[in-house]
Amino acid sequence: MLFETFHELLSCYAEKTPEAPALIYDGGGKPAELSWADLLKKAEEAGDRFKGSRTAAFLIGETEADTVVSLFGAVMAGIRVVLLDENLPEDVLIEQIRLTDTDTLYGDEELKEALTPYLCSPKDPAPGELLFFTSGTTERAKAVVLTERSLLRSAYNGGSLLPLMPSDRLLLMLPLNHVFGFVCGLLWALNFGASAAIGRGARHYADDCAFFRPTALSLVPLLLGFCLKYRVFNPELRLLLIGAGDCPPEMLAAAKALGLRVSFGYGLTETSSGIALSLGDDPYTFTICPDFRVSIAEDGEILVESPETVMKGYFRRPEETEKVLESGVLHTGDLGTIDENGALHVTGRKKEMIVLPDGTKIFLPEYEAALSAALHGADLALLLHRGILTLAVSEKAGSEEEILSAIRPVTAAYPRGQQVRKIVRLKEALPRTATGKLKRYAIDLEKENIK
Amino acid sequence: MTRTELADEIREVIYECAPELEGVALNEDTVINTDTAIDSMGFTLVICRLEAKYDIRIPNRQWQKLQTFGDVVSAIESRIK
Repeated sequence: MLFETFHELLSCYAEKTPEAPALIYDGGGKPAELSWADLLKKAEEAGDRFKGSRTAAFLIGETEADTVVSLFGAVMAGIRVVLLDENLPEDVLIEQIRLTDTDTLYGDEELKEALTPYLCSPKDPAPGELLFFTSGTTERAKAVVLTERSLLRSAYNGGSLLPLMPSDRLLLMLPLNHVFGFVCGLLWALNFGASAAIGRGARHYADDCAFFRPTALSLVPLLLGFCLKYRVFNPELRLLLIGAGDCPPEMLAAAKALGLRVSFGYGLTETSSGIALSLGDDPYTFTICPDFRVSIAEDGEILVESPETVMKGYFRRPEETEKVLESGVLHTGDLGTIDENGALHVTGRKKEMIVLPDGTKIFLPEYEAALSAALHGADLALLLHRGILTLAVSEKAGSEEEILSAIRPVTAAYPRGQQVRKIVRLKEALPRTATGKLKRYAIDLEKENIK
Repeated sequence: MTRTELADEIREVIYECAPELEGVALNEDTVINTDTAIDSMGFTLVICRLEAKYDIRIPNRQWQKLQTFGDVVSAIESRIK
């Protein structure tokens, strides 16, 4: 069903199936259930706690049932909700609190105490808005303004291609501050009147499947790799939805070999999660979700239109918004094609290109993979530094001479102008996001005292 | 227990969690992220196993700060004393 608000969603199933489990959680060593009727009642009560507030930030760590209840309550109370990653350094959290005019905090008591001095005074209300920070692999993180309506619409869209039954049990293993986790780990189930099991956090990645016995699971590739390696899947599991990053085909094949239906999703925070899903045998052929109009720009960039699910913009960053959102068309920054059947194929990331001073472009992932293979899997990145193609690599990869010697066969395959001209040996690991994506903007070569 | 003995026990746990690292030297200054094949998920598993083994809890926010094998040993050592 298509819902406009969280209140409408909870009320619908509280009336239709009041005793059925909406949330399943750890009730002291065994799974406990919160019925739809109780979820609605508790969310309404939780909303009272946010009276007088205009913007509440939820510090998301290990999600508990109360986090979900309070989050619904806060949105239902008509205030803006900001979802923050509690594992970020305090100075970053302070910056995010200030940027979003947060006046109320929900989460870990110790962290709340540390952050309370930085709270703002209440500003104008923004009913139904939820702010998600992007992971920011190529630039500073931004707050994406979504709404309960756009998130519910996204869950409906994805669900129309990949439906669940009310008897299904979706396990939430991903953090709620990631829109993929929020939509595909929680709302996807609730939209169908199915149950969402609230995972117990990182400490239980290895045993949450055995504990909650889910039938469906949404994972990022890194977590899928972990689940496969340690064989954590339970026999009742039938459906896997993988998203939020590139996934090696052998990993998807390994999951399918277990008899699971595996779907791969493509989407962005800016589109309230999924734009397209793979439904057939080829995990990289995406069926576009019903609400989206997708086209390909002249330079190969994927352009998306969907008034219902595309973000309102980046919070307080109109210039940044204008760069990606023009007349309702979102420039995804990803490259792709649409085949004769109307299916979308994502081929790479536009921002993972370097444009050399002579105008030629280098697509970084394949170049970096080849260089890394030549250096026995060394952590590295290609950058354009002072107009020179520079390889930043861990100093553990060897001396400059050894590195140059090892990469020579790789670079020799490229035209001279595209060959690595400088090596910078790094003492520290390259900065990466929680999902392992390289944060190119955060690599500071000047710090390395290079000439 | 001395720090050396503790480090030996922690190495055993890491080798159990990541058998492919058996034989790879884990020294005090070995950087977990770049010098070993352990990804962030594998590292999470290592920390969870260590928490269970020593009946301690390292706050999740501290996990990000553990860069080297020596950092891990210190984090455990300071909590079991």
